[in-house]
Amino acid sequence: MKSVTLILISLLPAGIAAAQVSVKEDSLRTVVLREVNVSARQKTQQQHLFQFFRANRSATSEDVLSRLPEISMVRRGNYGMEPVIRSYNSGQVNLLLDGMRIHGACTDKMDPASIYIEPANLQSIEVRTTGGSLLNGSSLGGSINMKLAEASCHGSCCETGATFSGSSNTGFHSASRAFFQSLNLNYTTQKWGIAATGTYRKAGNYRDGSGHRVQFSQYEKVNYSLHGKFLLNYNTYLKVDLLADDGWNIGYAALPMDVGYANARIGAVSLVQENIPGGWRKIEAKLYANQVKHYMDDTHRPDVPMHMDMPGKSRTSGFYLEGTKSIGQRQSLTLRADASLTRLVASMTMYQEGQSPMYMLTWPDNRQRQTGVAAQYALQLDSLTQLQISARADYADFGLTTAMGKDQLAVFGYDNSQAHFFIPSVSAQLSRKLHRNLKATASLGFNGRTPTASELYGFYLFNQFDMHDYIGNPGLQQETAQQAELSLTWRKSKWKVQASGYVSRVNHYIMGVYDHSLSMMTIGARGVKRYQNLDYAILTGGEGSVMYQPFPKTQVVSVLKYAYAQNKEGDPLPMIAPLRNITNIRQHLGKLWLQGEMETAAVQRHVSEAANERETGSFQLFHFRLGYNGQLNNIPWQLNGGVENIFDAYYREHLDWGNIGRPGRNFFLQFGISF
Amino acid sequence: MNKYFPFLLAFTFAIIVTGCSKDNMEPAPEKIPFQKMAEGFATGAGIKVELYAKKAFTTGYNSIYLALYDSLSGKPLENAQIHLQPMMDMGTMKHSSPVEQPAGNADNKLFPAAAVFTMPSGEMGRWTLNVHISLHGKQGQAALPVVVTAPAVARLKSFVSKADNAKFIVAYIQPEAPKVGVNDLEIAVYKAKNMMEFPADSSLTISLTPEMPTMGHGSPNNAAPVHTAQGHYKGKANFTMTGLWYLHLGFKAGSAMADETTYFEVNF
Repeated sequence: MKSVTLILISLLPAGIAAAQVSVKEDSLRTVVLREVNVSARQKTQQQHLFQFFRANRSATSEDVLSRLPEISMVRRGNYGMEPVIRSYNSGQVNLLLDGMRIHGACTDKMDPASIYIEPANLQSIEVRTTGGSLLNGSSLGGSINMKLAEASCHGSCCETGATFSGSSNTGFHSASRAFFQSLNLNYTTQKWGIAATGTYRKAGNYRDGSGHRVQFSQYEKVNYSLHGKFLLNYNTYLKVDLLADDGWNIGYAALPMDVGYANARIGAVSLVQENIPGGWRKIEAKLYANQVKHYMDDTHRPDVPMHMDMPGKSRTSGFYLEGTKSIGQRQSLTLRADASLTRLVASMTMYQEGQSPMYMLTWPDNRQRQTGVAAQYALQLDSLTQLQISARADYADFGLTTAMGKDQLAVFGYDNSQAHFFIPSVSAQLSRKLHRNLKATASLGFNGRTPTASELYGFYLFNQFDMHDYIGNPGLQQETAQQAELSLTWRKSKWKVQASGYVSRVNHYIMGVYDHSLSMMTIGARGVKRYQNLDYAILTGGEGSVMYQPFPKTQVVSVLKYAYAQNKEGDPLPMIAPLRNITNIRQHLGKLWLQGEMETAAVQRHVSEAANERETGSFQLFHFRLGYNGQLNNIPWQLNGGVENIFDAYYREHLDWGNIGRPGRNFFLQFGISF
Repeated sequence: MNKYFPFLLAFTFAIIVTGCSKDNMEPAPEKIPFQKMAEGFATGAGIKVELYAKKAFTTGYNSIYLALYDSLSGKPLENAQIHLQPMMDMGTMKHSSPVEQPAGNADNKLFPAAAVFTMPSGEMGRWTLNVHISLHGKQGQAALPVVVTAPAVARLKSFVSKADNAKFIVAYIQPEAPKVGVNDLEIAVYKAKNMMEFPADSSLTISLTPEMPTMGHGSPNNAAPVHTAQGHYKGKANFTMTGLWYLHLGFKAGSAMADETTYFEVNF
């Protein structure tokens, strides 16, 4: 397998060199498009929704994500929510940052990669379900790719000379007495451009609907990034992305510990070539590396039986090479090769006076190597029908890297800690215009995913949700799934409606199973669970979204989602969101817009007893938002404000951990200028 | 003075270097990789006895190594009949302790054996290791004085069997350097027949339960010690983290519970 990686790496510069030579021979003047969004054809509805919800300038990435139809958020605190797609948990979903793999450094999933991104850095969020995500990686649930904002350069366009622009935003939220400040700066010349962003957020403990301050829900962070784009010639540009995020004093109300600090350092260099003769529309090569340091902290918690340190570190490096080629008028082919290497280590030390410190590796030092190749072929069968076939093959191997890591796992009788997985995936999607305004898309797929490092090697990872210590199992098989999805899109001048239904059977479903022979390690735990492959689970559900524009200045956006999941025995799976709806009406009145929003969630009684899951009640929330775009001396400014949870309802969502209420009535105000 | 200083330095350096190299040139003397703890003469047998150990003696199980030399020629002896008897002299009374006798043949010129000292030396009394040797019909006894200290963590426990009131002595041998993971566990059990006789015991069935007392949890997949030879029982003890552990031992004589109060502390 190593040789495959080598070949791919050696191909990389060769391909670029060859492409450059051919460009020189081309004497025709070519116009470089500023943005080419290849995925736009697949999920246009989503791009609209993303833009709509991002209009609230004080929103975090999490706020935007949680409103997308396919996504639900697992909440452990006021910060660091974990996105799941259609009840597929984070191990079954690829969360990518501009195509880069990034692995949280927290054994308790306090740091999904999405927390290291601010909307200021985001160009778009691509959510792809099942088959559409095969280019990005092997997964069951699909992928969330958070595309980074790019610097721009004028290129060959008519603009000349250098321009400088920027924007700054300040905001305040009353429920958590939160303050945020962000600054964007862009400098653009004909040949190159750089963009710098900086965001600072500080939130105190928030007030819930019953008027109580929720202890340990505070956080503070800074995020800063630098993006550069350098035009090498008409068709080729080099992109550099540097991103850093430092969070500290982050409370996790639903967990027994908080986070002292969580730092991410992310860097990437990409070479992009567009409009290449020979039918290649775009070729992109990217090299990246990132590192996350995460330090759990219990020093602020009262009544801890014993002080505990839990540091974790993840390092990932990788590359991908992706090219899209048009074959005649009717066919297109996208090829991709990627590889990555992740190293993880996390440990725990407990201190008891007069004794040696109690130390162990909670993620025994381990590494994961992944290599994959993927292809997506699209064929326009006739003017009404399009066929798309995606395929991917992934090879991944996991191993422990230190003697201590191996020794520790030997306690469970696992002599061989190496694990290898070969994962083939294939999906076919057929779209057909059934009517002038109605399009149907049906897809069938077979795919798989590797177990996660926690599932393979976790060493007494305490899960506060079901109060059990979890033990990894290096003998786990990969999960595989057969999936079917049907989606209908109806578009008429004022309407954009999309409805999807899906069902999938996940084989060798990985879940913690109570093991009575093991004694728990965490004080207060109810027992120990060991990850096992269960026979299968069925996940099904649907979601829909409506965008309706009855009048030119009025928009109605409504999102509905529902999921249902059970195992072979018919027992419900844990962490499945109930029926949920978010409806918005936005009215533009000249420079002012007003928006009313209603969030409704049904009761969830379909709960997992094995996971000690509780029923959650229904709730209904009302929000009001407004925005004003003004201009003063040629400086555009905008004001956003509003009140969330107007009636101060006390509520929690089903995916929220612990019996902790969500924020009550919240007034927010945001002011921004552009220059 | 200053201008001679470099010469002085060079000279000193040269002496050290040549001195060192000279040492290395000579044939290596009988090198024994252990500390010499005591020596004495078994006069009747014409033998010089040297006692070695890896570290200072402590209450509990101590591996010892005897080196025997012909007192006239100084030549090491490779076989002899040796009988050891540790003796504690407490003034008003004397008692012995469990011991593992050396084999008749030396292993690389050393006779390995073991002594299980049951109390530290001090005002209470003094230990002597009596070495009785017979070789080619001649016999002699050397009395080697030894000092025994109490270890930081107890490595010797005793109990009175609830089954038959017999007294047993339990000595901890392994793990010497405990680690997180799977550890070889070894203990030795002796029956206290009287003040002088402590035969190795192989009759007990032993159970093992590691516990982290601060946290109240144990560890999985331990192997209870089973008898191998000379009263030694071997098993596996698993530690899931560093820190203070108790190794709880249960002893059964046949089906009757003999003792369930004994434990050893492991702190690393």
